[in-house]
Amino acid sequence: MEYVSPEGLRLDGRRPMEMRQLRAELGVVSRADGSAVFEMGNTKVIAAVYGPREVQHRSQQINDKALIRCEYTMANFSTGDRMRRPKGDRRSTEISLVIRQTMEACIMTHLMPRSQIDIFVQVLQADGGTRSACINAATLALADAGIPMCDLVTSCSAGYLNTTPLLDLNYVEDSAGGPDVTVGILPKLDKVTLLQMDAKLPMDIFENVMQLATEGCKAVANYIREVLMENTKQLENRRGV
Amino acid sequence: MVGLSVGEKHFIQGGIAQDLRTDGRKRLTYRPISVETGVIAQANGSARVKMGKTEVIASVKAELGRPSSSAPDKGKVSIFIDCSPTAAPQFEGRGGEELSMELSAALRQCLLGGKSGAGAGINLSSLSIVEGKVCWDLYIDGLVISMDGNVLDALGAAIKAALSNTGIPKVNIASVATSDEQPEVDVSDEEFLQFDTTAVPVIVTLTKVGRHYIVDATTEEESQMSSAVSVSVNRQGLICGLTKRGGAGLDPSVILDMISVAKHVSEQLMNKLDSEIAAAEAMEED
Repeated sequence: MEYVSPEGLRLDGRRPMEMRQLRAELGVVSRADGSAVFEMGNTKVIAAVYGPREVQHRSQQINDKALIRCEYTMANFSTGDRMRRPKGDRRSTEISLVIRQTMEACIMTHLMPRSQIDIFVQVLQADGGTRSACINAATLALADAGIPMCDLVTSCSAGYLNTTPLLDLNYVEDSAGGPDVTVGILPKLDKVTLLQMDAKLPMDIFENVMQLATEGCKAVANYIREVLMENTKQLENRRGV
Repeated sequence: MVGLSVGEKHFIQGGIAQDLRTDGRKRLTYRPISVETGVIAQANGSARVKMGKTEVIASVKAELGRPSSSAPDKGKVSIFIDCSPTAAPQFEGRGGEELSMELSAALRQCLLGGKSGAGAGINLSSLSIVEGKVCWDLYIDGLVISMDGNVLDALGAAIKAALSNTGIPKVNIASVATSDEQPEVDVSDEEFLQFDTTAVPVIVTLTKVGRHYIVDATTEEESQMSSAVSVSVNRQGLICGLTKRGGAGLDPSVILDMISVAKHVSEQLMNKLDSEIAAAEAMEED
């Protein structure tokens, strides 16, 4: 199948190096300590953060840092074909783990010993790149909750189809079977916290694709920063400062 | 779950007794309701309903299926509710399952009628395509995103809004099959049939706190309840379903009184909801 037309356009009309439309909103779940919606094209996720609070199960308490927990759930209606997944299947558990490890890299856990932070991400619409969208939403929700972080984590994926590196794969491109590189970075510190790839790729091409995904992360970081700035300004206005 | 001090409890109970609740409402006043339709692109119909801080999403998906042998001229509708852990940390893992089951069962009772499908709020006969062969299966999925009391009423409202947003593709029967073959059908992707939702009931939950009962209780108020009665009432003022929750027993005369109050309140809710749905549909078309 042709994923990039001779004119250099992808199935959804994007250029190979073009991202989908981003949209983010803070404070969508009013009872949570912090929450955010993050959309990448048709992929839409909600993240909610509860904490830092008392550890629920004493045995899990860590004496010198905070316990981070994460759960990833998909809504029944999030995929094209309706399916009823049992909660806690392998895929969700794996993604929960990936998100937890990625977020742990940026949260300053040593400042909140003997406490617990819960991150819940809920996928409302899945159209490829849910992993990245969840990490971006979780970053925003953590920032909304006012949890100390050394940097924002942002994530983006890139793939390689029809001998072209493609940024931010959608569901059709993702299921084409080509390599899918998901990168998460700390943009200010310039460090990679998440790197995953399936399928194989020659070394030099991998470098290009990863570079592309990193550029995508930086673009996401700029957008997230804008959203946070806008939100802070609104808070300031409301307080009448 | 809700940590309230003795003073706060008295304040909530006293406020309800004096017809002035903690957020300034009267006993039979709802929080502001907002409806947004078409929020899930992949579904045939969807809606998001906010009642104060409670937020739910309902989606309707239609799939072709075979009617059951007991009701060959009717389609099938199933309702599933999920409580997202974003709403409350205790829904993590399987923690939300019990509440999800309770809500699904209550909504099935209120919207789908008896086993035979009699008395259903949704007209099941309109989902039939070829009698005994092909029909539409409607899957109604509800998701609780944020929870601040009165989730059942919000879900009922969201399902009503999602159904009125639903377009069921028009089906042409390509070949008339012999008795034991499945007929071939051609699903149109341009023409849609609008669903008639005038008969879909609304659900009103009356929560009894002390000697009085209130509508649209928040989580704090629900923590003080002795029992709650959910009544689903349709446009004609007929009761389509009833469930009672909570431990304390109720005097039969109080139940009858509550039902008549619920019927009265449902009229206002129905009108408010219909105008909100119409406004949301108009917004979406722009």
